[in-house]
Amino acid sequence: MGRFLLKRFALALVTLWLLSVIIFTAAQVLPGDVGRRVLGPFADQRAVDALNEELGTNRSLVVQYGDWVGGVVRGDLGDSYAFGRPVAEMLGPALENSAKLALVAFVIVVPVGILGGVLAALKEGRLRDRLISVSGLSATAIPEFVWAVVLIMLFAVWLGVLPVTAQAPEGANVFTELRYLLLPALCLVFVLFGYISRMARAGTIEALDADYTRTAFLKGLPRRTVIRRHVLRNSLLPTIAVVATQVGYLIGGLVVIELIFGYQGIGQLLFRAAEQKDFPLLESATLVIGAIYLAATLVADVLYSVLNPRIRYAEAT
Amino acid sequence: MGEEQRRVDTVRRSASEIENNLIDAYADGRITRREFVRRGTVIGMSLPLLSFLAAACGGDDGAGTTAAAETGEVRRGGTLRTAIIGPSQTVDPLKVADEGGLAVLGQTGEYLTWSDEKLELQPRLAESWEPNDDGSVWTFRIRQGVTFHDGAALTAEDVATTLNTHADPDNGSPALSAFTGVLSKGAARAVDEATVEVRLEAPNGNFPYLVSSDNYNVIILPADHDYGSNYERSFNGTGPWKLDRFRQGNNVSYTKNPEYWDQERQPFADRSEIRFLDEEQARVLALQGGEVEVVSNFTATGGAGILTDPNVSVLEVKSVEHRQIHMRVDRPPFDDKNVRQALALTLDRQAIIEGLFEGKADLGNDHPFAPAFPSTDPDVPQREQDLDQARSLLAEAGSEDGLGAQLRTWDGVEIPDLAQLVQDFAQEVGIRIELNITDAGTYYGDAVFGKSPWLDSVLGITDYGHRGVPNVYLTAVYKSDGTWNAAHFKNPQADQLINEYMRALDIDSQRAAARQLQELLLDETPVIIPYFFTRLAATTGNVTGVEVTGMGHVDLTRAGFKA
Repeated sequence: MGRFLLKRFALALVTLWLLSVIIFTAAQVLPGDVGRRVLGPFADQRAVDALNEELGTNRSLVVQYGDWVGGVVRGDLGDSYAFGRPVAEMLGPALENSAKLALVAFVIVVPVGILGGVLAALKEGRLRDRLISVSGLSATAIPEFVWAVVLIMLFAVWLGVLPVTAQAPEGANVFTELRYLLLPALCLVFVLFGYISRMARAGTIEALDADYTRTAFLKGLPRRTVIRRHVLRNSLLPTIAVVATQVGYLIGGLVVIELIFGYQGIGQLLFRAAEQKDFPLLESATLVIGAIYLAATLVADVLYSVLNPRIRYAEAT
Repeated sequence: MGEEQRRVDTVRRSASEIENNLIDAYADGRITRREFVRRGTVIGMSLPLLSFLAAACGGDDGAGTTAAAETGEVRRGGTLRTAIIGPSQTVDPLKVADEGGLAVLGQTGEYLTWSDEKLELQPRLAESWEPNDDGSVWTFRIRQGVTFHDGAALTAEDVATTLNTHADPDNGSPALSAFTGVLSKGAARAVDEATVEVRLEAPNGNFPYLVSSDNYNVIILPADHDYGSNYERSFNGTGPWKLDRFRQGNNVSYTKNPEYWDQERQPFADRSEIRFLDEEQARVLALQGGEVEVVSNFTATGGAGILTDPNVSVLEVKSVEHRQIHMRVDRPPFDDKNVRQALALTLDRQAIIEGLFEGKADLGNDHPFAPAFPSTDPDVPQREQDLDQARSLLAEAGSEDGLGAQLRTWDGVEIPDLAQLVQDFAQEVGIRIELNITDAGTYYGDAVFGKSPWLDSVLGITDYGHRGVPNVYLTAVYKSDGTWNAAHFKNPQADQLINEYMRALDIDSQRAAARQLQELLLDETPVIIPYFFTRLAATTGNVTGVEVTGMGHVDLTRAGFKA
């Protein structure tokens, strides 16, 4: 187990380094120079030159890369070009916001999705199954920004029971924050529900068909016990893997939702950084999101191995 | 009557030649009352004097423009909440180059003059101003008894230093694009405690506009102010609002400034909160959902829902924001004037305006003199769609079998739709346009000749923001050495007329130069300007008195909740 973890961890570090090279080069091939991008096409050339000088963006790429990576290793993510503040200072609150939203969405969608999938599987091919599967699929097929607008119009504009934006006022308590986060979280729930419930359904159906389940039934165990002890334990394995891979998306990929709800998460920060060619912010934010993806996958692997004796024992020998 | 006439005569005796010229123009009915007032404010005549003369000299156009925004019965107190596009970078007066940044600057900071929603100049920190005989030296009287939020008193030295700081190329202020060739570092000098004299590089009849809210970087700050990102901590200024809290990327809140100098413009509301919502949909929904009372900017297509909402009042502000379809006059196929005119003649401008703006735009006539500018001669015939003439012009150019060109532009706002419409219209006469639409960064490139699709392409569409006077468009786009001259238009006669226009102090000479320029540019057609669109802002029905300018400033001092 320890060696397994160590190997995965080392691999993750190599991946992060590769990622840093890729995002650095990718960001630098974006057209237009930095000073120009920050000041806009109509700014005086002298203003642009002055800014490039100030930011050091007129130096060679190798020097700039060394500067950046050296800083990151020492824990210094650099200063944002556009806002002149330390990147870490901007990333922190944004990351916290993103995590909050992801958490609310997760807490709703995981139990609901799994429950839906299991309920559908138990009545495979019947009306209940159809209803759950089709509605899940349709909900997933509708893009999140459509959900956002529909939900806002319904709950915030017409009914007026929930706020339009997701950013709670400063100093709000947990319940107020929850109220603000409910609509964007619901959008994500709709998008993810079909995905998770399908995995849970497939896993459950497979487990129901398995020999051990038949044996358990034949032993004369009550249905509830069989489902709880034998079916669920086995069926949820792949679902957990799916759920874990969604963590990265939920934290780093919510640009659209964050923009529509005016929420200051990391997706919005990243989007603006790309627009503004704010390299330190763009690169460091991408790196952080990459690290979160890797960590989530690592956790998924560990969970999977903990739950799945086959992997656990194979690694141990 | 006799008494009034005597007073007019007294005024005219003491008035300068330029001022008398203007009074003549108005008395003879050559300019409207609105233009008279607007022009008068530029050359430094006071508003009470102008309204007296306007009444005494008749010649009214009946448009009745003296009334300010109807404030109705407004309740004092409360918190006004506004949604704007957030500042895209540090709010530093020396760096701001975006609408969000300028809207924020304008809450706490003030300019020498204010270019209002009707493009009239209102005195702010300058109490009055006047040019010398040829408009090469302007003298501003600085308002006394004004204090900054930090308690320091405003001095003439502060004003001179602010102007010189923005004129210094080493500081790289975006204000340079208006100051280049006009104001150089050190040209502003405090003559005494209350007077600043500015010696220009060349005579300029519109200089007061260049130190107005139009040139939004130039908010007046203490002479010892340390520019940089520290500004966001204090937002020091002389304005009617004082900073409460600025949260980058999120919002900014203000309390009213009890020490504000202008008794006429004490804020009605106690507090103001401005939220940064970059997404248009988010701003519109926030207004409809009752989370904000004011939205400073939305488009006719994106905000169609609130255009018809009975609970929302829509503010339509004349702006001269426009798109330029520029054709390289030094490269085939557009090196032939006939081809350029032919393309311009294919456009059904009214249909374009209806389609893109629900009709909320003015027709463009292929020169930058928008109908909203007072110096524009409205009698130059409007170019209309004429496909037959376009075909015969093409035949004359030897291209009766049609021709092809690539159009480059970027994928923002309504620009891709406009590009498509141009492509469709051109198709009708056999001009095959291939679209090459990229992101803004690619299109603008380095924004210098040779390294920018914007400035190098044969055919392109570029977006131009609002200005209170056409000076910057003229010098940067149409002059032979213009830095934004994407058409590569080099015409000595145009250069000369532009210089003439810039120098002109009185409305008659301005209009004479404008008329010739309008005709010349319409004929040469280096650039097609299909429309100047109206800026749309909105408030909830229970709020009144909000002033939004074409530039994007949001003045909330007279705004409040209806009683």
